[in-house]
Amino acid sequence: MPLDTSTYNLALLRVDGRRWNELRQQGNTKIQCIITGPNERDASKNTSSSASTAPTAGGAGATLAVSIMIAPFATVDRKRRGRNDKRVQEMQTTIACGLAAAVQGQAYGPRSTIHIALNVLSQDGSLLAGLINAASLALVDAGVPMTDYLVACTAGSTSSYAAADEAADPLLDLNTQEEQELPFLTLATLGATDKVVAMVCESRVQLTRLEGMMATAADGCKAARDFLDGVVRDKGELMVQEGAIGRGEVVSSMDLD
Amino acid sequence: MPREAEPSQNEKDFILKAVREGHRLDGRALDQFRQLDLKFGDQYGIADVTLGKTRILTKVTAEVTVPYTDRPFDGIFTITTELSPMASPAFEVNRPTETEVLLSRLLEKTVRRSNALDTESLCLVAGQKCWSIRVDLHVLSHDGNLIDASCLAVVAALRHFRKPDTSMEGDTLTVYTPAEREPVPLSWLHSPFCITFSFFGTISIGEDGEEKDIWLLDTTLLEEQLRVSSCTISMNKHGEICQVAKPGGAPVEAVTVLQCSSLALQKVKDLSDFVDQKLAEDSKHRNKGGLLAELSAENAR
Repeated sequence: MPLDTSTYNLALLRVDGRRWNELRQQGNTKIQCIITGPNERDASKNTSSSASTAPTAGGAGATLAVSIMIAPFATVDRKRRGRNDKRVQEMQTTIACGLAAAVQGQAYGPRSTIHIALNVLSQDGSLLAGLINAASLALVDAGVPMTDYLVACTAGSTSSYAAADEAADPLLDLNTQEEQELPFLTLATLGATDKVVAMVCESRVQLTRLEGMMATAADGCKAARDFLDGVVRDKGELMVQEGAIGRGEVVSSMDLD
Repeated sequence: MPREAEPSQNEKDFILKAVREGHRLDGRALDQFRQLDLKFGDQYGIADVTLGKTRILTKVTAEVTVPYTDRPFDGIFTITTELSPMASPAFEVNRPTETEVLLSRLLEKTVRRSNALDTESLCLVAGQKCWSIRVDLHVLSHDGNLIDASCLAVVAALRHFRKPDTSMEGDTLTVYTPAEREPVPLSWLHSPFCITFSFFGTISIGEDGEEKDIWLLDTTLLEEQLRVSSCTISMNKHGEICQVAKPGGAPVEAVTVLQCSSLALQKVKDLSDFVDQKLAEDSKHRNKGGLLAELSAENAR
């Protein structure tokens, strides 16, 4: 179903009732992430698995191995995806190399591997951004030392590339319908800084539109970082309340940042 | 799995220090391409690109097949990349390395997804017959910057290619041989080119210790092994971005990415002019030969 962008201009509301700069609270994209390891690197396993790997700390730290599984029920059309889908492999590489920039891998030996298994349960746009945020949050929860969260967000532009409409609004955090119709990019930054770790744009868009889209996406990344940080802090508080960890421990680690 | 030999510590230190001071091993400027050459084969659709010591050969072929059931009005367009052990000992036959997957995905996004080739024009009979255009890309020699060279080779080969002319009379489809009717060019909409920026960390400039990212264009294999991250921007000469990919790696300031994208436009215009000029030279050369061949056939009869 084509997205009728003309209604957007009139009401300034998107198909799901958001305004241009609203993030979805949850969205319909659902991702589960499981971290295992660090394990000793298994040479025989490395060749057979379809995971993409990236060494951290310039080869002196642990290796990150990322594998993505997209459940057949995640999309509307129930299409079976092969194990060697190049699009998925590309996303795996992007996530692995992106996280390698944030993870302090030298805390582990160079011959160890941290496995990151991502399961996509439901897919409704901003898949790569969701995967990066999920992996980042899971790594923090698993206690893997990182310089900062690696957060990602998508941004799109409302006017088509043919129309030289400079005043077109950029949109934040696109859903599937919007992704199919509008040019968009995924931007991953290190924490709340403007430092671009990964950037993927797969649609045709005017060069002049890039700056606005990147700025919007960077703002979205900041919001996502605050959100992830809130989740981690809430979890920490809950753990203290339940007595899973001592209060002193938490306070000292919280004081660090 | 064989791996590319890593550069020695001395080489690493030397090259990185030189790059920080604004010099490169082969004396080029930081944003200068190596000597670029493009040759077309005797047949239509063969392009041989040499960029320094990197050499890429592409061949385009066309055949009539049945279209995909979910896309009855579209022809089939595929790009296959092959990185053979001839180019580098790190490549193996039948086992795509990460480089190969990323290269073919980038070409796919740059040329196919950006609709550079109008696939609807490849349809002959809706749902029954269509052209299948296949681009085979072979890396003959690998000395860095495979992506830019490959993209140029694919675009040049596709623009050079001519497919046999066809006609429909009632229910019969006729495909003419080149002798019967002159082959026709593909319906080509725009020419995208890839420009890859390789980043080498930051240097501080000025008194206030402001950090500036260092980047190189058209890296050799040695420089490519030492880079901390890369960013590939695909664009056509009209300033339309077809694809941007920065697959992880060390973080880079957003401002640098924007600067790179405007420089990419300038470089893309150069490449575009280069391909246009080479194509014009080739067609001029061919036209002369074509006329002569026709004359000789007349005389023989």
